[in-house]
Amino acid sequence: MSLSRLAPRRALQVYASATAQPHNARPLFHRKLHASPRLDVVRPFLLADIGEGITECQLIQWFVQPGARVEQFDKLCEVQSDKASVEITSPFDGVIKKLHYGPDDMAVTGKPLVDIDIQGEVGEEGGVEESVEDVVRAEGGGELDAAELDAAATTTQERGRQHGSRQSKEVMGSLATPAVRHLTKEMNVNISDVQGTGRDGRVLKEDVHRHVSQQTQQTVPQQQQRTGLPATREDKKAPLTPVQTQMFKAMTRSLSIPHFLYTCAADMGAITSLRKKLNVRAEPKLTHLPFIIKAVSLALRHHPLLNSSLDTKDPKKPELTYRGAHHFGVAMDTPSGLLVPVIHNVQDLSITEVAARLLQLSEKARNNKLAPSDFSSATFTISNIGSVGGGVVAPIITEPQVGILGIGRSRMVPAFDENGQLVKKEELVLSWSADHRVVDGAECARCAERVRGLLEEPGSMIMGMR
Amino acid sequence: MIVWNSACRSARLSTRPLTVRRCLSQRTLDRLTDPVQSYISTSRDPYLNLSIEHFLLQQSAPESVVLLLYVNRPSIIIGRNQNPWLEVNLALLDPSSHDQSYSEPPGLGAVDLVRRRSGGGTVFHDEGNVNWTVICPSKDFTRDQHAEMVVRALRDCGIDRARVNVRHDIVLDQGQHSLTIGSDDTHSTPYQTPEADARKPLKVSGSAYKLTRQRALHHGTCLLSSPNLNIIPHYLHSPAKPYMTARGVESVSSPVGNILLSNERFIASVQKQFGKLYRSIGDAQEVGDEWQEHDSVRKGCDELKSPEWTYLQTPQFSISNQSDTLTDVDLELSVRNGVISSGFCGTRKSGYSGAARTGLPAGLDGRRLHDISSWDDELGGSLPSVSHDRVTRLCKWLHMMLPPPIGRPNTHFR
Repeated sequence: MSLSRLAPRRALQVYASATAQPHNARPLFHRKLHASPRLDVVRPFLLADIGEGITECQLIQWFVQPGARVEQFDKLCEVQSDKASVEITSPFDGVIKKLHYGPDDMAVTGKPLVDIDIQGEVGEEGGVEESVEDVVRAEGGGELDAAELDAAATTTQERGRQHGSRQSKEVMGSLATPAVRHLTKEMNVNISDVQGTGRDGRVLKEDVHRHVSQQTQQTVPQQQQRTGLPATREDKKAPLTPVQTQMFKAMTRSLSIPHFLYTCAADMGAITSLRKKLNVRAEPKLTHLPFIIKAVSLALRHHPLLNSSLDTKDPKKPELTYRGAHHFGVAMDTPSGLLVPVIHNVQDLSITEVAARLLQLSEKARNNKLAPSDFSSATFTISNIGSVGGGVVAPIITEPQVGILGIGRSRMVPAFDENGQLVKKEELVLSWSADHRVVDGAECARCAERVRGLLEEPGSMIMGMR
Repeated sequence: MIVWNSACRSARLSTRPLTVRRCLSQRTLDRLTDPVQSYISTSRDPYLNLSIEHFLLQQSAPESVVLLLYVNRPSIIIGRNQNPWLEVNLALLDPSSHDQSYSEPPGLGAVDLVRRRSGGGTVFHDEGNVNWTVICPSKDFTRDQHAEMVVRALRDCGIDRARVNVRHDIVLDQGQHSLTIGSDDTHSTPYQTPEADARKPLKVSGSAYKLTRQRALHHGTCLLSSPNLNIIPHYLHSPAKPYMTARGVESVSSPVGNILLSNERFIASVQKQFGKLYRSIGDAQEVGDEWQEHDSVRKGCDELKSPEWTYLQTPQFSISNQSDTLTDVDLELSVRNGVISSGFCGTRKSGYSGAARTGLPAGLDGRRLHDISSWDDELGGSLPSVSHDRVTRLCKWLHMMLPPPIGRPNTHFR
């Protein structure tokens, strides 16, 4: 046996073929790493029945040689039987020990075709790169947008599926080598309960042992509260997801912007009753967001400074560009995290059209179908956290924009009407952040008050419409 | 893309497209994930068509079903594991190398020799033959299902003599119409006769398969209106056959016949049956020469055209002239992977005693058979004990049996 095989291996019952013959069992004091018996098992892989009553087929070519390491589903050889040429793939990970036929020989179905030495943990860590990983590496060469990375991740998933190799989670339940699966059987553990920490979520031997020790720990402190994942008090290091990475980069840049916060509360009563009336027939139902978006667009016509872009590539010569069109980024909470797709040219859209665009974008976001063009050229951002909750928020501006509007959750509050009577009011807090290097408080306040006016009196929005 | 193709069809042969595409369009690549895909090739190049077919096998989504239809210019397609010297009359492939003894040159011009990637036997393709390929997931695959689909397509066009036989080929029964009421069974027709001496059914389509772990490819020919039926046997009959013992799959010859249907009608009918079978109403996408631009298709094409693939993939065989009465210098050659690996040479006059036998003439051992362009050059000086005319007769025999393949695939149709 070569010295390279230092990891322990286990005997397996993968194929119901010849009786298991552990041979070359090593004495325990030789290279002992684990206190478990080590058995070298060479499994003969039989030529399966190809169908059609064919009893033998001709071996055309081998793709492997003795000594080659193979993984499950690697091509072993190609055989030919009358009209069919068939590619035969490896049933498990291991090292090729012996080829039973040479090229052009007739291989008999039901008899061994090749002997494979089953390896344990060595196979899962070393060597062969996943093809999906390769594709991701090839695609993600430089700086990518959050969206591009997301889109790339989706295409790589699809391409990985197309390439047909290593189908990971779709085809197989849990990824684990046969040795690990055998261990789970030994330890009476359900493999799908075990959290895999290997590549692609593979379950390793350590994971199984850890799971078992956790199980014994958990029976003791049963009154303790579980928090989410299988109760572990260990810290868990995790890499940033693609969306988080993008957020990290963008927000680090935003640190250089001096923000100031201006909040005001708008009475949404008029908008709400207008919505109720329209929603009797409107499909899909309108929320207050399209109204707010259009109101901001109308207001920005009078306050174009908030729709500008500030270029600070040269700190000594900052450039301010007043943007002609209103492209609003609308922050959305998606399964993969925060995404900010853009509605282009809000100034030319009606409220219904804005609502339709919003719906379209949120559909796409939910299904991971956003394209890079959906993220480009935003001039102003609107962040509606009201769907989750919130009163006053302090949103962060994305450069090169100079302003952002955060919307909280509308709630009923007590207020006084013009007669001094106590009435119910639906209040929505609008939180504006602006870049104090170019926008002063008064300008922002004026814009905010204009938006509030438009929302509290929707009729005035009609007056401003083009 | 389809609009561009039809507008430029007439000009395609003489001009290159204005934009050189580096790779297939994104739309084309996206189509590879559609659950049901239908393609039709505008190219007559057998290397390109087979490479496109292989590309579709490897790149289409694992759960998808793909149909590809194509027509090739005159070419001979041998199976993955077949022996070109055994199956094909190689001398006929290049018209300029014709012996004067042929009284009736076939007149087909140059004919390509292509080794395909699926198994099975040798077929002759020409413009009167339409090839169909269906690629489906392995787990859904049976050998008959798509042959049955093609039979339904034929019956839709009025060819009710067509049926699938036990070898998964499509045949036309030649008997009289029996009184049994016709059924939808694609494996029987009212024209079948049980007697053994009745006119044999004519084979109109042969099938071959390539099975990988997830995908199964089934392709077949369909003889619709080939003008070359009477010359094909010349091409597919090798003079070396009686002298060879070979491993590998041999072709099973059957009498063939034309269905007598136009290509267009057949193609439309197959597409319709495919759409019915897989419940899809999409249009067929045209594929053609622009696919040459794509790296993996071009690489596949280059591999198919290479002499290494065509000749060196031949399983082991040996050829011996012992049964030939006209030559009296014995020669036996063993060829393994297209390379002469062993053999002997001896004169009959001295019987079969070991002393008169010499080993392989020097210079032949380890030679690639398809590299040998002149047997006179090879053997001329290496048999000094043998008279010149006997050597000449031997070389002439060798030249007939193992002609130098001058008609290399990539020298034609640039």
